[in-house]
Amino acid sequence: MKSRYEEQFISIETVLENLRDVAYIANRQMAMTVYLACRLEKPILVEGPAGVGKTELAKATAACLQLPLIRLQCYEGLDESKALYEWKYGKQLLYTQLLKDKMDDIISRGNGFKTAMDKLHQYDDIFFSWPFLEPRPLLKALQEKNGCVLLIDEIDKSDDEFEAFLLEILSDFQVSVPEIGTVQAVTKPLVFLTSNNTRELSEALKRRCLHLYIPFPEAALEREIIRRRVPDISEHLAHQVVNFIQDVRKLDLKKVPSISETIDWARVLMILHAETLDPALVRDTLNIFIKFEDDVGVVAEKVHQLTAMAVN
Amino acid sequence: MERVLEDFVTAARTAGVRISISETLDAVRAVKVVGYRDRALLKDALAVSLAKTAGEKTILEDCFERFFAFRLFAAAPDRACKDAAMPSPSLVQTKSSLVRLLMEEDRAGLIGAMTEAARLENISQIKYFTQRSLFALRILARMGAGGLDGQIQALGRIDTPAAAAEKARLESAKAYLVDNVRNYVQSQYDLFARNEGERRLESELRLVKLSNLEQRYFARIHNIIQRMVKRLNDLHSRRRKAARRGVLDFKRTLRENISYQGMLFAPSWKRKKIERPQIVVICDISRSVLRTVRFLLLFLYGLNQEIAKIRTFVFCTNLVEVSDILGNSPVDEALARIQGGTDIPLIMGRTDYERSFGDFRRDHLAAVTRKTTVLVLGDARNNYNDPHPENLRAIYERCKRLIWLNPEVPAFWGSGDSEIGHYKPYYTMIKECNTLEHIERLISALVRR
Repeated sequence: MKSRYEEQFISIETVLENLRDVAYIANRQMAMTVYLACRLEKPILVEGPAGVGKTELAKATAACLQLPLIRLQCYEGLDESKALYEWKYGKQLLYTQLLKDKMDDIISRGNGFKTAMDKLHQYDDIFFSWPFLEPRPLLKALQEKNGCVLLIDEIDKSDDEFEAFLLEILSDFQVSVPEIGTVQAVTKPLVFLTSNNTRELSEALKRRCLHLYIPFPEAALEREIIRRRVPDISEHLAHQVVNFIQDVRKLDLKKVPSISETIDWARVLMILHAETLDPALVRDTLNIFIKFEDDVGVVAEKVHQLTAMAVN
Repeated sequence: MERVLEDFVTAARTAGVRISISETLDAVRAVKVVGYRDRALLKDALAVSLAKTAGEKTILEDCFERFFAFRLFAAAPDRACKDAAMPSPSLVQTKSSLVRLLMEEDRAGLIGAMTEAARLENISQIKYFTQRSLFALRILARMGAGGLDGQIQALGRIDTPAAAAEKARLESAKAYLVDNVRNYVQSQYDLFARNEGERRLESELRLVKLSNLEQRYFARIHNIIQRMVKRLNDLHSRRRKAARRGVLDFKRTLRENISYQGMLFAPSWKRKKIERPQIVVICDISRSVLRTVRFLLLFLYGLNQEIAKIRTFVFCTNLVEVSDILGNSPVDEALARIQGGTDIPLIMGRTDYERSFGDFRRDHLAAVTRKTTVLVLGDARNNYNDPHPENLRAIYERCKRLIWLNPEVPAFWGSGDSEIGHYKPYYTMIKECNTLEHIERLISALVRR
């Protein structure tokens, strides 16, 4: 049986077009990776500088497949009970209280400690069954009937143990809940993992994934993204904005502006009704795309020169 | 076509990309999906499934360009006698397929014949540069160069201008062929074996005596150390976290579940408080030991996230603490400063173990506690002075263990002015320490529990 992803993404071009329809401009390599991931049923590990659209890619894919996006944000100390499942302790407690009389009844009917124990054993599993299970993102993703897009965001922020724990899910799409057994995926989800490279991920995890590196986009691609994301912007302003940002990226900065910052800046310029870039305007809006005081100094020095280059 | 991919994977591995078998299988499946038609697409598919870091991607792309380069047989053969009249076909009765390919300048045919011959000769097994001519010869033989030679000789025996022209033509074609096969073998050698030498050098460097090491290898050694340190860090940080988990802490469980009317819902587990090793290093930095000290310190200071506290003392004639200098600047720079002795009261005279251990006992004994491991690095050559082992004994009795690292080979221990015999009762163990391998083993024993 063909999965939903395979049906919709019949070729690399369709992936590109579908993503474009939901306002995500991908390059060919990204489209191919998504296409391959659908075909090979493998997770994608997306790396790249902050703000180039790693998370967006997963969102856009979910949008064009019209599947739910289940997101798991990783952080230090994230563990199974928050990622996979948890027992509803409160509900268990409440039910035991409510059923107290019933249980007394069951137990007292038997004569002797052993029979009572045996009787109890017949019932105790009911408190560890599906109705008392609180599924967390990973389990939810496996239970989705039509499949879903599972986004495991910033995997590098989680601990090594959690990473190791993910391996079973990523390679076999199944998890073990000790009290219930192994849960298989109904339809295999399409998995995206993103990482900002704050630490090296383990070989085992990388081996199970397709690896996509998203760099800063080329000028042409970035212009297209700006036009798509900020539709009101005029052709020549988009041109200037992109040129300016591309030049800024070549400077020696602590944090270079990425696409999301370019988009923000373009939006701000639209709100200010700017027609064209001029040094004063750039200096006033510098803090939109430069996030460090030191960097502001570096760029402010060269604003004249950079603006002149961008305008021409 | 899978054979081609296999060779490509071998080439990429040689270039330094780590590729596992499961990744190779992924690549095969990926290539089946995207096909061989579109070169850029093929490259991307391989990059996505084989290379797992940005750095590896660049290597892989470079490797791809070289592996799938078809610049062979590009330039047409140098035809000195182009204007010579075409020889009458009767002169050459039996044209072998090779001769025909050459005469018709069938590039694709020539490349096909050559790569097929190379494949049969297992070119991907090439290891050393001395094998290049051998492989070239074998490939030529498989392509039928023997027949070509025979024909040239046969033409040499016929004494007509037409035959001479034909002979010249064949000879230039042969030169062209040999040239291309040589280039091909060279490019294959680059692909499959170029890094082999590096790898060999690296494994040698791990075993070579640090005191004999040449200055030009220092950068490489630093790289190796960094990798070793990283491996140790990965290994032990994981093991440490997983240690001692899963024993039920009954008292705490009772306390914490009071809010559930005493029902034991949320069990809590015992965790052992993890103590990181504390280390005090006492190094002899006289000239005979300095190299070893340098690499040991590089190692130790790379590990600092593993080791909570490390204090370093150096001595020659007297002993000083240099933890601050080492903590604040890179090891190389720090060592230069220590040796220069500009801002520390270190006397670089004759090595004096008696005075140095005495200094330590007097000023720094408080640094050693029951949790401390003391590393003493030195050859114990005391220039025939009284060794006074009771100073070392005072340190030994306070610490968890005292490890003596001796940069000399065991045969020399105790010979001449070496006082190692006198110190013997006061160390937990002694180890020979003069190669990277020794240092690595030592450190991994230190951080292991």
